[in-house]
Amino acid sequence: MSWEEEVREIHRRRRLAKQQGGKEGVAKQHARGRLTIRERIDGVLDPGTFQEQGQATAIPDYDDNDKLLGFVPANYVVGFGRVEGRRVVVGGEDFTLKGGSPNAAGLRKSVYAEHLAVQYKVPLVRSLEGGGGSVKGGGGRRGGTVGEPVYSAHRFRIIADAMGEVPVVSMAAGAVAGFPAGRLVASHFSVMTRHTAQVMIGGPALVERALGVSLTKDELGGAHIHAKSGIIDNVAEDEYDMFGQVRRFLSYLPGNVHERAPRTDCHDDPERMEEALLTAIPRDSNAPFDMREIVAMIMDRDSFFELAPGYGPSQIAGLARLDGQPVGVLANDNRVYAGAMTAEAGQKYRRFVEMCDTFHLPIVNFVDQPGFMIGPEAERNGTIRYGMAAVAAAAQATIPWAAIQVHKGFGVATAAHYAPDNYVLAWPSVESGALPLEGGVAVAFHREIAAAEDPDAKRRELEDRLRSARSPYPRAESFAVHELIDPRETRPVLCRWIDWIQPRLDELKGPTRFPMRP
Amino acid sequence: MARLEIESEVTGNVWKLEVQAGTRVDAGDVLMMIESMKMEIPVEAPEAGTVSELRVAEEDAVEEDQVIAILET
Repeated sequence: MSWEEEVREIHRRRRLAKQQGGKEGVAKQHARGRLTIRERIDGVLDPGTFQEQGQATAIPDYDDNDKLLGFVPANYVVGFGRVEGRRVVVGGEDFTLKGGSPNAAGLRKSVYAEHLAVQYKVPLVRSLEGGGGSVKGGGGRRGGTVGEPVYSAHRFRIIADAMGEVPVVSMAAGAVAGFPAGRLVASHFSVMTRHTAQVMIGGPALVERALGVSLTKDELGGAHIHAKSGIIDNVAEDEYDMFGQVRRFLSYLPGNVHERAPRTDCHDDPERMEEALLTAIPRDSNAPFDMREIVAMIMDRDSFFELAPGYGPSQIAGLARLDGQPVGVLANDNRVYAGAMTAEAGQKYRRFVEMCDTFHLPIVNFVDQPGFMIGPEAERNGTIRYGMAAVAAAAQATIPWAAIQVHKGFGVATAAHYAPDNYVLAWPSVESGALPLEGGVAVAFHREIAAAEDPDAKRRELEDRLRSARSPYPRAESFAVHELIDPRETRPVLCRWIDWIQPRLDELKGPTRFPMRP
Repeated sequence: MARLEIESEVTGNVWKLEVQAGTRVDAGDVLMMIESMKMEIPVEAPEAGTVSELRVAEEDAVEEDQVIAILET
């Protein structure tokens, strides 16, 4: 006697599970220009590394003799795999079955994905497609039970806890609405495809019913909307580009908060000095310059990966490497509101600092901060609150933090660019104070200016006098900066700092007091 | 022939127009300078083409995302 018959049945069921929504369902998905969940999992993982969990999970249909008649696989696929050889958990809805809306078996697996990642302490990669729950599945039967028992664990706690424990990455590769949209934003990095994905709280039918507005899915939640709203970080040209971005993001992060981010071999000379840095900042302080070029010249070659470039664009944020060490990079883009901190930039800043703090990534901050954004729109947007949230996140950050004063540093917003574990460098082009000269003179000397025969000329004269007195040396003389440097020295100086902070990075391993929240 | 709408990235004032309707431009050519928060921001042509329409004049106030020129490529 052997168990051969049962073993054959196990293999048959595994094959049935992989049929997903059948040939027709798969063809329909492909016709929409989208991959199936199993193709996505294969696309994001190293080849052949997927180990599915719960392969036999399904809604079976038996006859009276317990013979299997039909087999609808769970429409959520989850399991282990590897990205660049490192372990991850990956999971996602199967849109070829019931439009991704969870069937009973699928629901059990989908809520398990976060638990699995936290339990095994590995990054979670979510593929999201679908609209979450459906009213068709609800409605209590008479005499049956409805809802969760009052003593049950909070269903969403694991969603929040996971963000303080392991890297969480979400991909939107189709229409994502309801709870899946909530999961999308409960991530350290989210990415959507430019043409085949939409993200909405409620879809067109709900919106039309509730508000009487008729909009397409794209008009409601296409990439052009959410690259600016900050709901997603990055836009991908297609699903393969999306997989590449996910793999790249994970390469900068540790597997969990108890480990250190992987320092890689560096093939770029840590002592490299770029001549162009000497002329990168124009002497005319109203002339714009390209901050991204400066960042690229100083970081390891081609290592800068920008996050959320379309959201709060006056603030640049991204990941990079310095002598192989992953670091968070913050920098102001003077071409957008002179780099001022808008409400969106403040929120982007806070979340980024919290993410770096959660995973103990040192921050390198290129400071060109003219202050919080001002004006009627800035007031309506509640800018000062989000700006102070950014200041608070920096003030309570535990990570090593290098600030390079490259240009402006004015007002309270500048405080967001420094943290307790500071290493402060300044370029000769630095200008700092409570207010920029132009506005500051008008405020501080308003009586003198008003009393002058030619108020405009008086204002200009005061501005010129103060401008000529401006000098980078007093801050260095007063030890208000660690070092005043030749801009060309920035990379060598920062790479030496990376060596000094290695013991501190070891010490920081473990959960942070303030992990990142959605 | 594609018709590209050039938008202002920022709220500010048109400080200087560098082209007129009908000017042929290369990718990267400056169409106009917008002053915002004391910075003089160049608006560049994303592709080569002909400026078919300028929707702003010097000293006009512009808002974020406002279409300021049309480029035929």
